[in-house]
Amino acid sequence: MARMKFICDTERCIECNGCVTACKNDNEVPWGVNRRRVVTVNDGIIGKEKSISVACMHCSDAPCMAVCPVDCFYRTDEGVVLHDKDICIGCGYCSLACPFGAPQFLSSGAFGVRSKMDKCTFCSGGPEANGSVAEFQKYGRNRLAEGKLPLCAEMCSTKALIGGDGEVISAIYAKRVSVRESNGRYPSNDIFGWTTAYGPMDSLAPKPTPAAKIPGAKS
Amino acid sequence: MKLNLKALGLCLAAAFLAACSEPPEIAAKAAKRPDVAPYMGADNGFMTKGWTPTNDPSWTDSINKRNQNQSEYSRFK
Repeated sequence: MARMKFICDTERCIECNGCVTACKNDNEVPWGVNRRRVVTVNDGIIGKEKSISVACMHCSDAPCMAVCPVDCFYRTDEGVVLHDKDICIGCGYCSLACPFGAPQFLSSGAFGVRSKMDKCTFCSGGPEANGSVAEFQKYGRNRLAEGKLPLCAEMCSTKALIGGDGEVISAIYAKRVSVRESNGRYPSNDIFGWTTAYGPMDSLAPKPTPAAKIPGAKS
Repeated sequence: MKLNLKALGLCLAAAFLAACSEPPEIAAKAAKRPDVAPYMGADNGFMTKGWTPTNDPSWTDSINKRNQNQSEYSRFK
């Protein structure tokens, strides 16, 4: 069974915001809500500027699902985290829990009232009938049911953003990394995998903090 | 006769006031609805060709082939 994921290659993202525009247009996302955003770090520093396109990452252990007081989230068999807007009460807990800022709320109503939550659906709609008008109006397009992948990834001009089955897209990314290594741009596998996440293999492994040093912890 | 008119008046008042009663404010129980799997296809005119709706393996194959369009190394072999 496929588990749908996004990967954004920061070496390729050129901050064109094409993914943001495609998402807003295809799903007719209202003004004030961005399901996808491009974040740039070290802006203006030559050689160090990196951009990454961020939306819901469809976490395997999603914090939004864990904190929702009305349990409106569900995960599909394809690993996509979706929610039912008929159950959502717009409390905003998911927004606080999400490390990526994926849950979005319209706040342009009277008295700054918050709408129900809106977020990236991996272009797979919601509980309504696949491809129906009701589904489109609430959640946007259901491209997966049409045999397509999310538009943000499919139209990315530099193919920085890849979306699809996690195993397939990680293989595509790994191929890129191996080519970068072989052409000498990134020797010693410093861009993908363990080294990137945890440091060199010969570095000391992190040790757990002793309970005595944690206030209130029982040893 | 006077008593009858009083009783009639009370009955009419009860009937009219009944219309002013508040409806129960108990929300319908929110329940999760089952979602339809994407391999079942979409009921619109935007379906891609090359796979059979309701057939999970054919949908997966089609999606994985489409996925390879995101890899220039497989596109320009």
